Amino acid sequence: MTGTAHLVFAVLALLALVLIINLVRLQALKAKYSVLWLTVGALLAVAAAVPGVLDWVADKVGVTYQPALFLLLGFGFLLLLAMHFSYELSRLETRVRTLAEELALLRHELDENED
Amino acid sequence: MSAVPVDGPVGSLRYRGGVRTAVVMPAFNEAEALPGVLAELAEAVPDHEVIVVDDGSSDDTAGVAAAAGVTCLRLPFNLGIGGALRLGFRYAADKGFDRAYQFDADGQHDPSQIATLLAGLEHADMVVGTRFGARGADDPGSSEGAYRVGRGRNLAMGLLRWLVRRATGRRFTDTSSGFRALRRPVLELFATDYPVEYMDSVEALLLAVRHGFTVIEVPVRMRERRGGRPSNRNLRLAYHFVRVLIVLTSGLGRRNRLGVAA
Repeated sequence: MTGTAHLVFAVLALLALVLIINLVRLQALKAKYSVLWLTVGALLAVAAAVPGVLDWVADKVGVTYQPALFLLLGFGFLLLLAMHFSYELSRLETRVRTLAEELALLRHELDENED
Repeated sequence: MSAVPVDGPVGSLRYRGGVRTAVVMPAFNEAEALPGVLAELAEAVPDHEVIVVDDGSSDDTAGVAAAAGVTCLRLPFNLGIGGALRLGFRYAADKGFDRAYQFDADGQHDPSQIATLLAGLEHADMVVGTRFGARGADDPGSSEGAYRVGRGRNLAMGLLRWLVRRATGRRFTDTSSGFRALRRPVLELFATDYPVEYMDSVEALLLAVRHGFTVIEVPVRMRERRGGRPSNRNLRLAYHFVRVLIVLTSGLGRRNRLGVAA
């Protein structure tokens, strides 16, 4: 990797880390997501700061083309995350529906009491 | 499955042992057609309590219902027909109704057919009003139902009929009919478990049969819709058609452990 590319990656990783820490600091993320993203941020930072790490890991697991390992890990991570979000969304939708029903029933009760 | 003969006028069914009957009517932007439909119902079945479920309408549907003096449940946003029905059933179950039937707010259902539908409850837990007559199921085009559908839709309905028959072991001619009556036990089931996604009618049929309830069809007349517009676009219809096919062929559709409808 050339010096410039290395610098660009380091800056990008740093930006991601700053963004994540800021979100966590503002408590905009639930605790479980905070831990998740802080881990991701830390891994990115290490990979960007010490380029040799990725090569070393790739070598250890027998991947000859290092970027493939990076992409594979990234893709797998995103896929799992998307599945998790689908699950969370389904659960939320069920709850929102029930709440809407509850609200309509309460509103009706209120209307009746006013008469 | 046998057709049930119509016995006597609507009057003979009223207040039989103090039976309380609810009319569950989901309405999404039906302010135009609703007054006429409600007036017809008040005339034909004055002792049935109409429950309009305003499914997040942006027009004056709720106001029209209130002006007609019927119960109106207002949902804060659009849940779709299945969600609206489930709320109506829940309310009817909570209020201790003995039986309920679905009735369209757009004037598609004919009040003169209610007696026929409810008479079916003497022999079953749930009654589905079919547009195609009880016999000649596989050839709806030539039946006496006089309800004509396009070729593509005909094919789709035929496929649904066949799959429902495979899944339930029963023969239904009109799996998507929204003109249905149910007795208390089914009402209680639907109050909590009614399928909330579009094409709910097919899944509801499956749900009732799987819970061991007797479901029959009776032939009824239906009219052209009066106001509003068909609630679905083709693409969405296609998506839900495929979804229901998967449900029918894979034995899904029951609630899983997470409480999320599969």
